[in-house]
Amino acid sequence: MKRIITILLAFFFTTFISNAQIKNSKTEIVQVWGNCNMCKQTIEKVANKKRIVNTIWNKESKKASITYDTAKTTINEVLKRIALAGYDNIAFIAPDEAYDNLPDCCQYERPKHKTALKKETLTIQINDNQEAGLQMVYDAYFELKDALVKSDLNIATKKAEVLLNGINIIKMETLGGNHTAFMNAEADLIVHTQKIIESKDLKIQRENFANLSSIMYELIKTTKANSTIYYQHCPMYNDGIGANWLSKEANIKNPYFGNMMLTCGSVQDTIRQ
Amino acid sequence: MAIKNIIQKKLLPLTILFLLSFKISIAQKVVHYDLYVKDTLVHFACKNKRAIAVNGQIPMPTLTFTQGDTAEIVVHNELNEETSMHWHGLLLPNKEDGVPYLTQMPIKPHTIHIYRFPIIQNGTHWYHSHYGLQEQIGMYGSFIMNKKLSASNFRVGIDDLPTYPIILSEWTNYKPENIHRMLHNATDWFAIKKGTTQSYIEAINQGHFNTKLKNEWKRMLAMDVSDIFYEKFLVNGKNENQITTPQNFRKIRLRISNGGASTYFWLNYSGGKITVIANDGNDVEPTEVDRLLIAVSETYDVIVNIPDDSSAYEFLFTSEDRTKSTSLYIGNGRIHLVYPLPKLKYFEGMKMMNSMMKMNGDLDDMGMNMSLNKMDMNVVMYPEIKGYAKSKQDDKDPNRYNANALADIVTLNYAMLKSPTKTQLPKDAPVKELHFELTGNMNRYVWSLNNKVVSETDKILIKKGETVRMIIYNGSMMRHPMHLHGHDFRLLNGNGDYAPLKNIVDIMPMETDTLEFSANAEGDWFFHCHILYHMMSGMGRVFTYQNKLPNPLLPNPNYAWKKLKADDRKFHFMSNNDFANNGNDGEAMFANTRWKFSTEWRLGYNEMHGYESETNIGRYIGKMQWLLPYIGFDYRYRKMGIN
Repeated sequence: MKRIITILLAFFFTTFISNAQIKNSKTEIVQVWGNCNMCKQTIEKVANKKRIVNTIWNKESKKASITYDTAKTTINEVLKRIALAGYDNIAFIAPDEAYDNLPDCCQYERPKHKTALKKETLTIQINDNQEAGLQMVYDAYFELKDALVKSDLNIATKKAEVLLNGINIIKMETLGGNHTAFMNAEADLIVHTQKIIESKDLKIQRENFANLSSIMYELIKTTKANSTIYYQHCPMYNDGIGANWLSKEANIKNPYFGNMMLTCGSVQDTIRQ
Repeated sequence: MAIKNIIQKKLLPLTILFLLSFKISIAQKVVHYDLYVKDTLVHFACKNKRAIAVNGQIPMPTLTFTQGDTAEIVVHNELNEETSMHWHGLLLPNKEDGVPYLTQMPIKPHTIHIYRFPIIQNGTHWYHSHYGLQEQIGMYGSFIMNKKLSASNFRVGIDDLPTYPIILSEWTNYKPENIHRMLHNATDWFAIKKGTTQSYIEAINQGHFNTKLKNEWKRMLAMDVSDIFYEKFLVNGKNENQITTPQNFRKIRLRISNGGASTYFWLNYSGGKITVIANDGNDVEPTEVDRLLIAVSETYDVIVNIPDDSSAYEFLFTSEDRTKSTSLYIGNGRIHLVYPLPKLKYFEGMKMMNSMMKMNGDLDDMGMNMSLNKMDMNVVMYPEIKGYAKSKQDDKDPNRYNANALADIVTLNYAMLKSPTKTQLPKDAPVKELHFELTGNMNRYVWSLNNKVVSETDKILIKKGETVRMIIYNGSMMRHPMHLHGHDFRLLNGNGDYAPLKNIVDIMPMETDTLEFSANAEGDWFFHCHILYHMMSGMGRVFTYQNKLPNPLLPNPNYAWKKLKADDRKFHFMSNNDFANNGNDGEAMFANTRWKFSTEWRLGYNEMHGYESETNIGRYIGKMQWLLPYIGFDYRYRKMGIN
């Protein structure tokens, strides 16, 4: 009985070990960017293929040791898979969407590379230097609006956090003549933005966004903007009471209904420079 | 004597000089190509398989000409079977068109055939075999005609850019004849290989049980955007191809032809926007988009930028069903990848089709009046536009199928194409208006026009000089690329006199498109769906010119016409058998478009079980072919005393 068990165990182990061996193997050490242990798990899982590819990634050196079967695959095939999972490497640069989908801890520093902008983003140049702080607030507002158009709860929460941060770091002294307008608005802005961050419900986020938008409108009217801003109105929201929002483009993209009724709305006012 | 002197010394030399100069000035530049068509073994996907190579390569060599040349192409058929070569989109004399049994007899094995015709146009086109299913196994290649530098329509900044010809294609390890047979027998095998079976278990997991039940109640098959499983997709014969560029190379023009037999491809680029400058070999006003869909046999000329010349950028070609892709890397250095197109949400598509399809096979477009690919019903399945979660029913939104309204991504549609020059046809020409409905039956793989295949109709007579207008409605559940030989047609897309010129138009289910062409080329011209397996099933028509001269390459026109019709009359065999412990149960069928010859059997293992067999022949009736009246005989035996 003991003999049988030993034989079986021996058989078991040899097959187990021989399974891990890769034929025609070649090992290459290549650069793969990443941050944490979660990255290590993802990189190795995505790159490995039973009996064909075996990868070991080192968090400190940011290098991966890839052993692969030269008859069945090439190093580039492995690196392409790693890049599509979001990790830049020596041969490929990950698509932005893949990088964005990585959990926060994994988002490594990306070396700057020139990519053609898919869409021209109009940034509002504020003439007065003193109002540079407000620019951050406005930009954050527009990004929050875009997130609500896409009905994306997570990104909306993220952008609201950026907005809150922007509001908080503004020093009243740097605002010059507009500081009264901002002072009156600040408290309400903070309250509504905080509600957006806290709620896990898109409906509540949108409710608060409606309030936020009317305050923002008053604020932007007193600032000199370098590009035209459109104040748009959706009549159907909130059982016919309606709501407004600000947008950099005249094209209607409704943040209160998103895809459900994307083009519902009209331009109420245009704030020119 | 004096006259003879004059002739010899003055007139003769002058005449010779005159004749010589005359000959030089009209001397056409003849561009000659030899194509050696041979069997070959390829290894695209794990197995050695038979394919056809020309001059030792797949795809076939790129043929380049300049407008004004005379093309002389000698096809050396070194196969053991017949072949022919068709020049897609070319305007040429009918007998050079390369359609077997319509414009020539097929090129016999181990013989040569010379195609000779003047090049009177310019643009990106392609060429392929038009015999049988040879197009699927390697006989496709780019056919490029450049503008003369001095041409009046030469566009500076567009026509002087460096260019690169691309031909897209598919590879399958199955014999194309077998694929054709399997399609006719409504096989599930391809869906299994692709992972698109849309089974009950998947339906329940995704909360779509009712959708699946309703689909089966309506006797529909699980809908997919493409029918066939391909092992690989290829760009110029390779799954991943690279072109390196010299320093400071910022713009390149890609001449893209879709040489696939049945696959539409999405075109995406990681280095920014794509500018479309020509379609089907005809110039269009430059249009900037984020992505476009290229139909089977269509060609597009696009310009892309290389933002950073120390990087490379991926030009991604994804099949419409998004199961696989092929890439071209442009530039030097690390490659910026395109975020792959996510898998389709099939049950959303099934739900959409359930509401569109009626039991008698008609489609209900709910008053949407669709045309020109402006509305894409398939958009309900695209997670990149509609989001990944199960979407709520938003029947009231008029934009619910408009991809360009629903997302930031700009997708090209036919309404955005505009010709830079006027293309209108003479107003005084008589107009012949034809209406076609594209009809199809997925269960039996019968594809037709007005529910009639090529072999069930006569040729359509047109007169030289008239304007032929076709109004085509797609009443089937699949999209079809309808291709016309020998002519360019105007696609009426709202651009008035500047309607673009094309030779193939992709029509989505329930769309209506109007196109018109001037009948200016004598002969017999094929008009058909360019999905290879649909064409071979008879989805097409033949246009013939009244009082045309007989074709010298068809000595027996009646015989040739019969052979052409034979293509869609082919019978396909299928059989299945159930091995059970109480006996065998099975059937075998020989079926074609309308007829079925079948035999069933139940065989017991001993005398007590007995056996029974029924053999019959039947004919399908109607568009959906729900009815099959048949006659036959039955034979059975059981030794039990009771029969």
